[in-house]
Amino acid sequence: MAINLSKGQKIDLTKTNPGLSKITVGLGWDTNKYDGGKDFDLDVSVFLTDASGKVAKESNFIFFNNKQNENASVVHTGDNRTGEGDGDDEQVQVDLQNIPADVDKIAFTITIYDAEGRSQNFGQVSRSYVRIVNDANSEELIRFDLGEDFSVETGVVVGELYRNGAEWKFNAIGSGYKDGLAGLTRDYGLQ
Amino acid sequence: MAGINLVKGQKIDLTKGNAGLSNVIVGLGWDPAEPSRGFFGIKKQANIDCDASALLLNENGKLTNKLNLVCFHNKQNANNSVVHSGDNLTGEGDGDDEQIMVNLKQIPADVHKVLVVVNIYDAVNRKQDFGMIKSAYIRIINAAGNAELVKFNLTDNYTGFTALICGELYRHGDEWKFAAIGEAAHAAHINQLAERYI
Repeated sequence: MAINLSKGQKIDLTKTNPGLSKITVGLGWDTNKYDGGKDFDLDVSVFLTDASGKVAKESNFIFFNNKQNENASVVHTGDNRTGEGDGDDEQVQVDLQNIPADVDKIAFTITIYDAEGRSQNFGQVSRSYVRIVNDANSEELIRFDLGEDFSVETGVVVGELYRNGAEWKFNAIGSGYKDGLAGLTRDYGLQ
Repeated sequence: MAGINLVKGQKIDLTKGNAGLSNVIVGLGWDPAEPSRGFFGIKKQANIDCDASALLLNENGKLTNKLNLVCFHNKQNANNSVVHSGDNLTGEGDGDDEQIMVNLKQIPADVHKVLVVVNIYDAVNRKQDFGMIKSAYIRIINAAGNAELVKFNLTDNYTGFTALICGELYRHGDEWKFAAIGEAAHAAHINQLAERYI
């Protein structure tokens, strides 16, 4: 049974699920409650950082123009996985046992494409969540609903997988960014 | 205390920071854009009739009862907790063109949102749209003392649209919050807009 996390909560993944390796991180949201006349394009981006919290090389920034890291242990499945019944809008496949040793954290973010041009922000987005599914048996391990926290932000760090000794844990972060993907890439050391 | 100026998308708690708050006035204002000048500098009168309405929606965002569309042809809901003050409240100094009175504590339990919209009456026949309107805003006033709690200036370019979804009062647990929406829509008549929520 899935565990519902609240903001700031940290939970062990591999310790309580021995042998866990291949997981799917699913992210979902609803938009356009009110017809703004403009399309809403939300994008999931993943930052693989080192121990200092920085992305050491461009191939460790996974987004719509770079769908996987070098050894394909983190793979963004793209925009075409919608409508699979479980409500995920985008998914990222992670093979925990094959994550390169120099990667300490895998941060999952959602940003609004062309937010400024289209005058959009997370105030127009509702029911955002992230969930982690064990690929071996399709069991949902954890779920984090982002709730009411965002309004003027155009980017959100939803949560991160991180090493803790020999184990992997998940941290439900839920922090907003007012300057979208640009702000995120800056803070993760890519600019 | 001065009201808090919101930006589009922002959500703010109303009752949590104002214990005991119950009767609020939702004030909506707008001005015609600079009237274009005809021959010999004679001003053409921009006669635009904007109408404010409130849609009382259930927790699924649906309008379940026609009395829950509070507008010029139905000025109040069944228990009078949401009352449209009509078109005659202009010029009272504070700039509101129309007002809707809301008694938060008396809102029926099945109403979770009070969605406040403004549309241009007869917009299609008169070939009018919100590009001809400027300085539109929505504000919430505490009826006890008339303090302005929040104000949201609608600053997007709404040219070509005939309705504005201004904002919503909504339940959040036991409290009421306000969300600044500021989205444009097409609706030749308030009833057409309401049909979306049925």
